[in-house]
Order: sequence, then C-alpha cells, then structure tokens
Amino acid sequence: MKHKSSLFSILLGLLLIFSLSLAACGGATPTEVEAPAESAPVEEATAVVEEAAPVEEAAPTEEMAPTDEPAPVEEAAPVEEAADPNALPRNETLYSNGQQWGPVVGWNPYSSNNNNAMAIAQQDNARVIMFETPYLYNMLDGQVYPLLADGPFTWNDERTELTFKIKPAAHWSDGTPVTAEDVAYTWATHLKYSTPTGTGNVDFIDAIEAVDPQTVVIKAKLDENGQALNPLIVAAYVSSNYVIQKAWTQTLEERVGDDATAFLADPAEDVVYSGPYHKYFADDSKVVYVRDDNYWGQDASMWGKLPVPKYLGHVIFKDNAAGTTALQAGEVDVSQQFNANVQDLWLENDLPISTYLPEAPYGIGASLPTAFFNLDSPGLDQVAVRKAIAMAVDYPTIIANAMTDQSATFDQVPRSLMNPTPGEQAMYDHEAVADLQWAGNDIEGAKALLDEAGIVDTDGDGWREYNGENLSYVATCPNGWSDWQAAIEVVAAAGAEIGIDITTNFPEWSVYQTVVTKSDAPLPEDYDIFMMWSDGAGPTQPWGRIRKLISSEFNGMTSNWNGNWGQYENPDADAIIQAIPAETDPDALKAMYTDLVKIYLTDVPSFTLMYRPQSFHTVNESVWTNFPHEGDGTNPPVPPLNLTDGWSIAGLYNLELVNP
Amino acid sequence: MKHTIRQVFRSGKFVVGFSIFMGILLIVTFYPLIIRDAPLKIIGQGTFFAPGIYVNVYDSMGSPHYTILLDDAAAKRIADKLDDDDRQAIKEWLVAAGISEDAIEIENTESLLDLWVNNFDPTTRIPGMTNADRNYYIRLNTALDGLLSTEGAIVASVNPETGALEEKGVIRQTDYVNVNQVPNVRVLPLGTDNFGRDVLTELVQATAVSLRIGIVAGLIATFIGLVLGLVSGYIGGLVDDVIMFITNLFIVIPSFVLLILISFSIGQEQRGAFTIAVVIGFTSWVWTARAVRSQVISLRNRDHVNLSKLSGHSIAHIIAFDILPYIASYVVMALILQISSGILAEAGLSILGLGPRTTDVPTLGLMMNWAMIYQAHILGKWWAYFPVIIVIALIAFSMNLMNTGLDQVFNPALRD
Repeated sequence: MKHKSSLFSILLGLLLIFSLSLAACGGATPTEVEAPAESAPVEEATAVVEEAAPVEEAAPTEEMAPTDEPAPVEEAAPVEEAADPNALPRNETLYSNGQQWGPVVGWNPYSSNNNNAMAIAQQDNARVIMFETPYLYNMLDGQVYPLLADGPFTWNDERTELTFKIKPAAHWSDGTPVTAEDVAYTWATHLKYSTPTGTGNVDFIDAIEAVDPQTVVIKAKLDENGQALNPLIVAAYVSSNYVIQKAWTQTLEERVGDDATAFLADPAEDVVYSGPYHKYFADDSKVVYVRDDNYWGQDASMWGKLPVPKYLGHVIFKDNAAGTTALQAGEVDVSQQFNANVQDLWLENDLPISTYLPEAPYGIGASLPTAFFNLDSPGLDQVAVRKAIAMAVDYPTIIANAMTDQSATFDQVPRSLMNPTPGEQAMYDHEAVADLQWAGNDIEGAKALLDEAGIVDTDGDGWREYNGENLSYVATCPNGWSDWQAAIEVVAAAGAEIGIDITTNFPEWSVYQTVVTKSDAPLPEDYDIFMMWSDGAGPTQPWGRIRKLISSEFNGMTSNWNGNWGQYENPDADAIIQAIPAETDPDALKAMYTDLVKIYLTDVPSFTLMYRPQSFHTVNESVWTNFPHEGDGTNPPVPPLNLTDGWSIAGLYNLELVNP
Repeated sequence: MKHTIRQVFRSGKFVVGFSIFMGILLIVTFYPLIIRDAPLKIIGQGTFFAPGIYVNVYDSMGSPHYTILLDDAAAKRIADKLDDDDRQAIKEWLVAAGISEDAIEIENTESLLDLWVNNFDPTTRIPGMTNADRNYYIRLNTALDGLLSTEGAIVASVNPETGALEEKGVIRQTDYVNVNQVPNVRVLPLGTDNFGRDVLTELVQATAVSLRIGIVAGLIATFIGLVLGLVSGYIGGLVDDVIMFITNLFIVIPSFVLLILISFSIGQEQRGAFTIAVVIGFTSWVWTARAVRSQVISLRNRDHVNLSKLSGHSIAHIIAFDILPYIASYVVMALILQISSGILAEAGLSILGLGPRTTDVPTLGLMMNWAMIYQAHILGKWWAYFPVIIVIALIAFSMNLMNTGLDQVFNPALRD
C-alpha cells in the first residue's frame, strides 16, 4: 500500500522528546496515560461476586498425582531464559500489549496479587490461555459455550441446582484427567482461604459437589421460600472461575503448611494448568507463553487442533505512547490499549492496522463510564439540578474529543442502563422511556427545568442559588486518566452554560479510589460529581451492571468496589433488582428492566458519559491476519477481546500468516 | 545610568535577545486585544484539526457563487481521490481478481475506473489479503463513487411537515465562492489541540501565563538569593555559617526533585499558576545566594566600604548603598537567568502532570503535557506541540542572549 515518508514528523517527534527531556531535567514520567481501560476492570474484578460454601475438605480420596513431574516447562525455562525470549521466531509468535503493565509476581490462580493479567483474570470474560473455565462467555451473542464442560449445563426444575459434566478428553498439563473433584476442590479452597472468588460467591452458592468423576453439581443458596437466592450469579460462576487441579492445590497446601497468607502469596511456579499456553519467560520487559503441544483441546470434542501461534508474547510498556509506537512498527500484533485517533494509523500512516469495526466507533461498546452525583451535596439532592447538569453536557464533544470517536454516540444508542450490544438493547422498551432520554447539549431545556423548580439566580451574580447558596460544585476523576479528565472538563463547561459553577479537580488515583469506595460515610467536599466505571459485558448482564449502578445494598460498605458510589437509595429499584435473577419469563424481564431504566432516567443518580469497549482491540496485520472483525464469518462470532478472553480465544485457532 | 544603558544597547547579542523578547511580549500583550476568543473555549468537535482556513460549508452554499473555468480542476479533483498508490493498489486487486495485467491501463482513469466498478466486490475473499487491506479497498471504492461525473450535486433539505426532500439548488463543479463573502470562516493558523481548542490563541495565553510564572519565580528566587547572599557575605561569622549551611543543604538536594516533591504534596486542588511560581521561586535561589555572597565577600574589605563603616553608617545602609550597586549588574543577569529557568521548570513540572490545574489557565508545559497524552508526537500532529517548543526555545534563547550581552558589557575581561 502507500508509504508516505513521515520523516518530517519523526524529526519533530525527536525534537519534542529531546526538548522534553531537557525541560524535565531528564527522567520525565509523562503521567500514567494508561487509561482507565485496564486498571478499571481489574480492580473491579477483585472485588466482586464470588463466594463459597463451607468446606468439603475433600478427603484424600483423590489419587495423588503420581510423581510431581514438574511439567517440561519448568525444565525448559531456566535453560532458554537467558538466550531465547528475544529471538522468538516472528512467524510463530503473536505479540500483544496493554493487558500487563508491570512485572509478573506469580502464577497462583488462587491469589489476586499475581499482577499476571495475561494469564490470570477471573472475570465475566475470563482469560483462558493458561487456566480454563468450564464455560466460555461470548459477549457478542450473550451465550456460553462449553470449554472444560461437556455440553450445556442444566438447571433442575426449581432452579436450585446446576449440573454440568466435564469433557472426558480434558486433562491437565501433567497428563491426569480434569475431574469433577477438581471443580469441587477448587471451590472448597476458595472458601477456605477466603479468596475474592470465595467471598464474592459464598452468599449465593451453597456447595459445589462432584457426583461422579465427570459430573459437577452446584447448589445455590436458598431463601426462606426455598428459591435460589440468585441463579444468575450461580450460573455466571461456571464461565468466570477457573478449575484448578486438586492434586496441585494439595501440594501447595502441604508446602505452606495451611498458612493462609503463605498460600495466597505463593508464586506457584510449579502450578499445573489445563490451558493451551504456559509460562516460557517473564521479566519486567515482557512475558512469553509457549504452546503446550499436548493440550487436550486438540481433541475433536473441543477445538480439534492446536492454537496457531506457538508463542504468545506480551510486551510490557511504560505507557500508551510506547505501546502505540510498537503497534505502528509492527512489533505488537494485538493492542489492548487506548490508541487516540486510531483511524490515523491507517488513514494517514497507511499502516496495515485495523479494528473490529472499520469505522467509528471502531469497537463494540460494552461498559458505561459514568459520572456519579454526590447526593448529599447541597443542591444535588434535587432531581432538577442533577438532571439539568446531565442534560446540558455536550456528549458529542466528549465522544469526539475525549474518546476520539471510539464510542457510539447517544444519538445512535440512546441512554439507558444497557450497553450498546444488540442483546442488551433488546431488553428494554425503547418507546416507553423515549421521553425520559436526553441527548445532551440541551441548554435551554436544562435552564427551563431549573427555572421551573424555582432554582434561579436571584442575586444577579450569574450563578443560580438553592436555599440561598450558589450552586457550586467540583467535578473530579483520577489524574492521568486522560480520556476521563477530558470528559470531566466538558461536564464542567456545561455548568457555566446553565448558571451552575463547576470546577474540575484531578487527585491521584491512590487518593481518589480510597475516597470514592468508602461508602459508609458521606463523600467529602470536592467529590460532588465524580467518574467511575460500570460493568461491561458478561453472563449476569445487564442485571449485574444495573445492580452496581443503583442498588443500595452497597451503601454502608467500608470498601465498596461494586458501585453506586453516589450512595443512591430507591426501594422500588432495589425490589426490582432483587426480583430479576429469579425471573425467567422474557416479557416480565423486559418490563422490569424498562421500569429500572425509567427510575434511573427520572432520578438521575448518575449519568453515562460515553460507551467504552470491553477491551480495546487494535491489530496490526504485518505478520498475522484473520483476526476477528465484523462480518468475519465466524459462527458463533468471535468477539474482539484480544484472543484471550472468554470465547475470543477461539480467534487464536483462526489466525493465519500474511506471508506463510 | 544613561550611559550604561546606551552601552548595553550597543551589544549586538543583547539587542537581538531583547528584540526577540520584546516581540514575544508585544504579541502576548496585543494579540488578546485583537482576537478576543476565550483561549480555553472548546470549539472543535474532534481532536487535532490541522492548521488551515475553515470555511463553513453550509454558509458557502448560500453565498454568491462564481463560475470559474479552470482546465486542471477535474484532474485535481480526481488526483485528490485517486493518487498513484491508489492506482497501483487497484491494479493489484484487479490482477488478484483474475483480470489480465495487459488489460489494465493504470494511467487511463476512465478505463481503470470502468474495470474497477465492474469487477470490485467487497465480499470477494482474496487469499493473503488482510482485513486492513479489505477496509482500504472499501474506503477507496466509496471515494471513487461518481468521481468521473460531470454533473453538479443537488442540495436539498427536509420539509419538516411532509418529510420529503426539497431541492434547494445545484452546486456545479465550476462553482466557486469568495471566502470573504462567506459569513463564517475561522482561521486556525495552528489548528486545534486534543480538546478542540484553537492552538494559537491558547499558545499566546499560555506564553503570557508562563512568562508571569517565570517572572514571579525569578523575582522570588533572586530576592531570596540576593538577601541571603548579602547578609551572609557581609556579616560573615556565625550568620554566614548558618546561611551557608542551609544553602549547601539545598545545593545537595537537586532542586527539581524538591520541586516535584513540593508540587506533589500541595495537591492539585491548590496548584494554581501563582502557587507553582512561588514553589519554583523558593526552590531555585541557591546559586544566586552563593554567587552574591562570594561577590560581597570580595567587596566588603574595599576602601569605600571601610570608609562608610568609619562614618558610622548602619549595616543596612552600607549593604544598600556601598555594596549593592557593585553587584547590581550581576543581579540583573541572574534575574534574567532565573526567569528563563523558571519557565523551563514550569514546563518540566507540567509535563510530569504536576503543573497548574489543567484548565484554569493554559501554560506552555500543560500544552505539551496534553499533546503527549493524546500522542500528538506519535501521530504527527506537530502543530499541537512544535510551536510550544519553539516559543519555549525562543524565550530561553532570548534571555540567554541578553544575559551574554550584559555580561560582555559589564565584565571588562569579556569586552572585545
């Protein structure tokens, strides 16, 4: 294709860098540009939803894995570590970036402190290159597909027990078969050591039992009527949590002598896994995984072949700018990071780079970055003020400037509590809430609303008053989260248009997160309007997202990583949120979701500023091609999640070399 | 005094530096009086609009149209959508789709487009073609649509009652408007930044703020340095020891590190432009103090100082009238350097994200910071950062020139 010489811009870039380092006396650390993209879901995942039924100290029935052959990996690694990782054959290596932002700490799938995002991420779209879940969630069609499991899971008639079978072909890296007992023991261990998975699910899952070596039964916790408390969360367990080998777990327990802290802190270099890749090399510059050619998934009952790339390399960059540069140079094939103005990479630089959609918004929006109101601030307890601010905000500018068009607009996808995927959009009645939705930039409407509520400027200083006090607020988000900061600036600009004084403030993330997640006390000053994330796509959505946006059950938590950070409370909404998981009739569900959207758009406890993809997914096709893209003909469709998360791992089996 | 100034202006270096600096100062003063746009107003929906003259399309439809017949108009129109690389790419696609290479005349637009229109099918899967290529061909196909048409385009609007399209007029390919007759034209000599703000207006304002920061910081630093240097140098003894102890402490700790720590601990809420200036001032007085002290030490045993002492003048009087005049030229030079390093320090801080609050005021460092965050340097959006660099360089350069010029005048050893 075209190759315009960009010598000029390179020169300018060099000059910039030179002068920057001069000005900063060297060693400048140009902010963590690392947009909320990655940090957000990770933090979130640790906090939420999983828990376990007490014990089941699986008796030592399990045949102890014969001789701990520490898998050929461990032997190979030290030898090759010195020489190889920088000389991986390019034609057999798929490079990615943006998931891992620092050196790997460990490989322990029970721990949440591995800083090993590429290998270990138990979430709605669990990352399954090394450890595997029974099912894979596909955000594009909302279905789950069996991985370790054999066929779909079934509920009993009362929806209190979920049963699935383990594929006979599934085996661990040490060759022993994956059994139902492994699933049960994993759960028991999560409980015993109070891992995030354990504490998040223990309120909803009573027990996980192995009926026979192939069959797993998950028993839901029941309410007083004998109904499952939350079948949605029970069902989500099977696609968001790994199955970990019982024998290895016992080895680890033996090693740490049942010390819970040591158990979770163990780096687990000897871990046994079932997935197609495992550790090859890791330091602070990159992590490399190598394919396990004995991977069980090449059995006809699963993929029928091995994934195409022999190595998965993940380069650890300092910031987004470094990542973009590497993507441009073709040193990264799959980029999970926010590349501002991504279209310039192909329109102006003529690089073989593409995204899932060829045009804006370039990806599939899945989560709703949201501005929350502090409902205790004087004036913000008034719906009119909240709604007026939300109506006046210039969303097209946020989307065009802060997100560089990598979000659907609110004209394309009117605001609700749903993400822009067709599945979720179909879950509420658009007609019924059309009057409540706003597209933004409605200065006159916002002014009229305030005037009507009697909130006017009586002393003529240009700012409206409520109870004799000027409406004056601080809008805030973490420093260095560039797209959020830019969005918050636009929110603040809207205030001036309607007579409400809004200034911005960007504290450091370390401060911000402790303040915002402390839900057992009113928020301090300077946190009148603040930005946080919402859930993306997952098996419990949109219910899970709505719950976290407006359910009052999180109010009063000392450390609230779930949501509703503005501490909104509405008993009607709570009741509907509680009723939804047990409801199975689609029409009734739609009516309930519509009611929730109505409540949300009427009360405006928070408002969505943009749509954001589950993961950014930009690919450079210099070496590999046939990445997932819209209309790629895959069935079921492979979602744009970097070929690592949930069903998107199917994309690894479709890759082809550009020049074989 | 008059004589000194005349001498100073005889130094070429000083004059050049002074002119550059005054030029900047004049622009900074008068530009906002002429162009009254708010510097931080977001005008562009989208990031990094390239420098240029932006003409309102809607208005230009309603402006008087003139017919100008230019021979190369059609060729230019085609070349804009279909350059040589595109032609080559079309050929590649056609060959891959099975058209014989001989049949493709790459320079003959008409036959090439004919072949393309008749053969291109976006759903065709060509082995080895990447998704990026496929997207490119689809974009190209869209761009080429109707390229050879000689008809005008019809402008229509929707009738709000019937919803039908009503023809408003025809725009022919030979129609031109006079930019002066279009009511809405916005000149963006330096384009827009990542927020969609006019870079030139912002740059002028930022220069003013940065200069103010530099001057405040420079004055503070010079004042502290001067006072401490004078006192410790003249009085000596224990006072000297104490002051020098403190000064040495500050010398050992790199002032930029100190600056970073202080700025960080103030927190962003308090970090206005003035606060930053004060912080910079308070961390950069050290060298001035030492230099002034050494000069004072050499001065304090001069005859006229002793004479003054014998006459019973107070210490303050002696310092002010017998010592200060002798080091005044040095102090002025130090001030100039302090101002310039204050501006650089602000830029350095802002690049680290420790500068003034982002959108209260623009500063040169903040402009660079945001340009970097939105990767202007990677994407080649030079207008977002290069002019800023130029301005910083010009300020520092002019100040240093002035300084060297002054040095030549006041230091006989350096005189030609």
